[in-house]
Amino acid sequence: MSADESELRELRLSVREFMAAKSPEEAVRKLMESEPRFDPAVWAQAADQLRLPGLVIPEEYGGDGFGLVELGVVMEEMGRALLCAPFFATVVLAAQALLASGDSEACARHLPGIAAGRTTATLAVAEEGGSWDPALISARAVPDGNGGWRLSGRKSFVIDGTTADLILVIARTVAGPSLFAVDRTAGGVAAEALETLDATRAMARLTFDSVPATPVGPDGLGGRIMARVLDIASVGLAAEQAGGARTCLEMSADHARTRQQFGRPIGSFQAVKHKCADMLVQVELAEASAREAARLAAADAPDFPVAAAVAHACCSRAYMFATMENIQVHGGIGFTWEHPAHLYFRRAKSSQLLFGGPAIYHERLLDRLGI
Amino acid sequence: MDYDTQDFAAEARRFLDAHAERAPDRTAVTWGEGDDSMAYFSSLPPEQETEQVRRAREWQRVRHENGFGWITGPHEYGGRGLTPVHDLLYDAVESEYEVPDTGVLSVVGLGMIGPTILAHAQPHIKERWLPAMYRGDAVACQLFSEPGAGSDLASVATRAVRAGDDWVLNGQKVWTSVAQHSQIGLALTRTNPNAPKHKGITAFLVPMDAPGVEVRPLRQMTGGADFNEVFLTDVRVPDDHRLGEVDGGWTVALTTLMNERNTVGSEGAGPVAAALSPDHLSALMRATWTWDDRALRGRLAELLVDAMATGYLNARAQRTLRAGAAPGPERSVAKLMYGQNLTCAAHFVSECLGPRIIADTGQWGTYAWSELLLATPALRILGGTEEIMKNILAERVLGLPKEARA
Ligand SMILES: Cc1cc2nc3c(=O)[nH]c(=O)nc-3n(C[C@H](O)[C@H](O)[C@H](O)COP(=O)(O)OP(=O)(O)OC[C@H]3O[C@@H](n4cnc5c(N)ncnc54)[C@H](O)[C@@H]3O)c2cc1C
Repeated sequence: MSADESELRELRLSVREFMAAKSPEEAVRKLMESEPRFDPAVWAQAADQLRLPGLVIPEEYGGDGFGLVELGVVMEEMGRALLCAPFFATVVLAAQALLASGDSEACARHLPGIAAGRTTATLAVAEEGGSWDPALISARAVPDGNGGWRLSGRKSFVIDGTTADLILVIARTVAGPSLFAVDRTAGGVAAEALETLDATRAMARLTFDSVPATPVGPDGLGGRIMARVLDIASVGLAAEQAGGARTCLEMSADHARTRQQFGRPIGSFQAVKHKCADMLVQVELAEASAREAARLAAADAPDFPVAAAVAHACCSRAYMFATMENIQVHGGIGFTWEHPAHLYFRRAKSSQLLFGGPAIYHERLLDRLGI
Repeated sequence: MDYDTQDFAAEARRFLDAHAERAPDRTAVTWGEGDDSMAYFSSLPPEQETEQVRRAREWQRVRHENGFGWITGPHEYGGRGLTPVHDLLYDAVESEYEVPDTGVLSVVGLGMIGPTILAHAQPHIKERWLPAMYRGDAVACQLFSEPGAGSDLASVATRAVRAGDDWVLNGQKVWTSVAQHSQIGLALTRTNPNAPKHKGITAFLVPMDAPGVEVRPLRQMTGGADFNEVFLTDVRVPDDHRLGEVDGGWTVALTTLMNERNTVGSEGAGPVAAALSPDHLSALMRATWTWDDRALRGRLAELLVDAMATGYLNARAQRTLRAGAAPGPERSVAKLMYGQNLTCAAHFVSECLGPRIIADTGQWGTYAWSELLLATPALRILGGTEEIMKNILAERVLGLPKEARA
């Protein structure tokens, strides 16, 4: 299913209103210091009023069956507001991993709960080094002899890892990296919250000690699932980054119009004016690349993986640039804890490196271009 | 007129199949084969250049006779009355064919001066010049810049003084592209030195063969001479060649400048396509044994990210246009990025080539890049400098206060 322009505008508007009401700065600041780092009541409202968790889940699994274009609109708005919610981990990482696995049984078991907002989930891939390279997975799963599997190992940087009900884990079997589902309450699962640069995105280290695990999708296909999820997740993330960058640009432009020094608004000084113009250029490129990648995904176009890599790189850089310049334009005010500029800076740096960082995604782009 | 774009594209294809060869893909390079020219500006000897202009005009005439000379123009002046979308579509189809480069006609004349004449000239002047321009008979140039008036265009000093039914023009224009091939030029002149500078300017269409018009080639840093100085000495121009009101020339200039921003940055073929093409650049890295250089690979990736994102931005503007809405700041942003992308590409390539771009060893595809390298500084200046474009974005799009101006 796909929405037309006016439906997209409506979607954007309703999500924006919801964010304004439920995720104002005070709420974000409160949540980033609480446990869990999201408000279950708001999450339930997002599900009931806006049906957000089910947005991109196929109708056969209880969702609304939309695609990356609609997801992009929602992520842009969430990025603007720095929403603290299990959306990214649940919908963009875990649900997409289930779908990418092609395992209809696993989908039928988990997706309806996710779509309804009852189940939160996450995907545990990276380990101590933070890499998404399938070759560097060391967590292992072995058959338990009774037709089941047992999983052991350690995962780091697991988003919402202390709260997600369902944990999808990439672990190595004899056949190679494979995807498994683990219940968070299962014996042998230990979750330890990590202190994070971006406090609005909770992360955990998970330890699995011979935990019962259910294979999801064919044994040994974890690498392929990871690649697909990474593409989709980086486009979702790119939209979130573009949204955040747009907010920083707006903040800067507002400030530059009103803050007076030397008897003039600082925006009339060209050094400041040009910073804002440079931010605008970055934001426009970011939006264009994130939206184009989403469009190509929806069209099932063969150049989607290239566009996904472009969007990931372009939006990571644009967001980082916008947050840095935003602080500069705000001067001392921008360096205070009170001002929201640092929240965006933290989010931008964290997002830039979430899946490895520039050196990694640059090589991924070149690889996809056959270079 | 509502003319289905698919039928239109098919018609364009039939026309091009009948009149042109399919173009080889310049982005997919086989090292050592084909034309390795990277000339952004022409750098041909005069006879060859004259021949190139002749071929450009001839091709424009063929286009025009087949209904593709002025796709968006009104019927009464020989246009097709279709939409900008059809225009873009035709460009896209034509880019698949090998056709003469018509830049001499299109970049300034058809892209900028034509729309200005259409918007501001008297009907009989439109009849006189528009069909001629779009048929390829007349090349037009933009006589705006002066030695003392570039970014601050409203400070033009060339004088125009009324003399009966005529005006007499005196002054000097500079950096005038294609003036050496032009039949007409659109000149900004000062008609009222006492009014505030934006309010004392009048625009005239100057026949370039009028007595007193002298075009002197101006050598540019590439070594070629695409632009010129134009001296106007007691040039008589009839009043009906005036565009817009007396002292109302700034409005006319704005029409041209707006079209200028839309023209620059939309080029997609030739060396430009090669310089930003992944296949071409990777072939170059292989040929220069820089394939494994981590630092260069990172820079290549950044370069491609920008080039591709700029492409997405242009595509988005076109989709918006096709949907019948006005695009946002995409075109201005793309213009800025276009200059930056080519600049980065040229410097990236020069690092891959090393000394091979500083002295010509005769090796294919190496020293040839020096032509693009030397052209790139112009892209940050022409059609409004980077700084001026940023001012425009900041003031018009972001609403920042205007800078103090005299
Ligand atoms: C290849 C080429 C082709 C051209 N073709 C034509 C043509 O066909 N017809 C025509 O009329 N003109 C043409 N031009 C001229 C072009 O439009 C001007 O060069 C351009 O507008 C800049 O003016 P300027 O050269 O006087 O530089 P200046 O205005 O003197 O600028 C010098 C420097 O100061 C900066 N600067 C100036 N004002 C400001 C400001 N307010 N804020 C910040 N920085 C500022 C500029 O950005 C630049 O870096 C051409 C130029 C080139 C390079």
